[in-house]
Amino acid sequence: MLGLTALCLGEPRLGPGSALTALVDPGHPWHVAVWQVRTPRVVLGALAGAALGVSGLLLQDVLRNPIAGPELLGVSSGAAVVTATVVVLGLGVPVVVLPYAALAGALVAGALVLLAIGRTRAPDHVALVGAAVSAACGGLVVAVVGLGTQGDVVSLFRYLLGSLAARGWTHVEAVAPWLVVGITLAALLSRRVEALTLGDEVAVGLGVPVVRTRVAAVAVAAVLAAAVASVCGPVAFVALLSPHLARRICGSVSTRRVFWSVPVVGAALLMSADLVSRLVLYPVELPVGVATTLVGVPSLVLVLRGRAPELAGSR
Amino acid sequence: MTGPLAPRRSGLSGRVGPVGLLLTATAAGVGVVLAHLLLGRSDLPPGEVVRVLTGRATAPAYETIVLDYRLPRVLVGLGAGALLAVSGVLVQAVVRNPLAEPSTTGVGAGAALAIVASLVLWPGHQWAYAAAMAGAVSTGVVLYAVGRRSPAVAGVLLGAVLSAVTSLLLVVDSAPIGTVLRWLVGSLNARTPEDWALLWPWLVGVLPVAWLLASRLNVWALGESAAVGLGVRPGPLFAAVLLVAVAGAAAAVAAAGAVAFVGLVAPHVGRLLVGSDHRVLVPVSAALGALLLSLADLVAFSITVHVPGLATDVSGVPVGAVTALLGAPVLISLVRRENRS
Repeated sequence: MLGLTALCLGEPRLGPGSALTALVDPGHPWHVAVWQVRTPRVVLGALAGAALGVSGLLLQDVLRNPIAGPELLGVSSGAAVVTATVVVLGLGVPVVVLPYAALAGALVAGALVLLAIGRTRAPDHVALVGAAVSAACGGLVVAVVGLGTQGDVVSLFRYLLGSLAARGWTHVEAVAPWLVVGITLAALLSRRVEALTLGDEVAVGLGVPVVRTRVAAVAVAAVLAAAVASVCGPVAFVALLSPHLARRICGSVSTRRVFWSVPVVGAALLMSADLVSRLVLYPVELPVGVATTLVGVPSLVLVLRGRAPELAGSR
Repeated sequence: MTGPLAPRRSGLSGRVGPVGLLLTATAAGVGVVLAHLLLGRSDLPPGEVVRVLTGRATAPAYETIVLDYRLPRVLVGLGAGALLAVSGVLVQAVVRNPLAEPSTTGVGAGAALAIVASLVLWPGHQWAYAAAMAGAVSTGVVLYAVGRRSPAVAGVLLGAVLSAVTSLLLVVDSAPIGTVLRWLVGSLNARTPEDWALLWPWLVGVLPVAWLLASRLNVWALGESAAVGLGVRPGPLFAAVLLVAVAGAAAAVAAAGAVAFVGLVAPHVGRLLVGSDHRVLVPVSAALGALLLSLADLVAFSITVHVPGLATDVSGVPVGAVTALLGAPVLISLVRRENRS
């Protein structure tokens, strides 16, 4: 439904019927606009949102931390550093290779944060360390941007906020395999991850290798977040929020129970945020990351309100 | 509560007296100022700089370069650094959390957002300081309202939202890069004597008041009940300290932009040097913050990179990028230490 709405709205505005006709009929006057511009954007939004949701779910459950997510664990910003460097310095990396490079950055930043938080699970500390690593990555990005030209700066700022503008089928093709593989791996891990949510001792009792599972889950989450960041930029708060919403909707905190609703929620979140950012200030398009941040943070606060005792952390 | 904030004398303070510290700080300050005056984009012979300073310049252009470009830049850097550091010390003392500072609480981002919003609405106005103050105070109030239980998380999230709105305004308004970098990450490029003229009254206003509050902060650090028993009224103290801290942070942001981590690193190093007696710590942190930001600025404009595909080398990055890179490891080490205690 959301996808169909996204196909219809914008300039030119089409009815649902004519949008579908334009989609399938190459002779239709708007075929190019719908098929080459709007469709890839919708598909990419859905895929990226789903991937981010799963990424957030894995991180939250495996670290038993309600505010874990690629945006607060430095994963997104690590990927952004690499992408920004490639873009500004004109290193000429083809769009298909970019996810690999971004993944390297994401893994380095994520590993740094995980090493820095050590054994703590206090959300306060995780948030601060993540903020520090993200700020350092931000500093790197800015240093790189400062070396670029005025044109680079505007496009890069849009990228750094997260944007789905001007994305075509090449972008979809570049990341789709990553996302499918990532989500599949996450599904395979979900049973073990669920065991970890019960506590390390219980997990050991169930015969689940704790450390291996944790490393694997974080790696898969990083793969998903990095693939998204390499084409859309570090879209914030979709990953953090989707698992919470899915848990509310399913009325369960079990990893496996909510697993298949998380990607749906994530896709819906990102697509609706993209729709809003396309239309709200038409003809100026907002970067979608701004919409997700502005909507995501208040919702996150509301969702977490009920869990405040856990969030109080150690002071 | 014995933590990193309980008053104690430690570290080097036994060996370095206040006089020694003062001399060291002055020497370092003079060194930084000289380095700033001697180094820069245009090649000026050192002898010429000395002649300008003694009023015997051979050409008016040299005077302009040294007195109108280089001198304001180093002064604004020193001033903003001192304000950020003092703001950090005060907030850390009053909320008893060594990790609080303008950039981790979102106050810096709030001030930057208010300035950018006012510039979008009324281009070219002259009251950035008032806007910064309003933004910083409102952020503080919001933080106090929503973040009582977990200030760190609330501060990080609030900062994310405010920065997102700021970048949004700058993208929609397609501001020139200088503006973007100046407000979002902090930069000391192109400071003029007017900038210094706007900043120094804030230094005169904030720093002495912060120092006058120091002995009360020492009592406060003993714990709330002890402080009340010794006649410190928590409400007024809290309000006064936060007001001074927010004013300092706002002025620093209006002068240099939302520079990260100076307010965290300077007090931290200060505590290592002189312990946590605030009567000593406040001035020492101010001096350290000033030196830190100014040194980071030296590093920032000395960086020259050869970009493939461009004919000329590109030089200079915003100072905020340097402080973010320097400050992140310090914040991480602080968090780790907190975990252990």
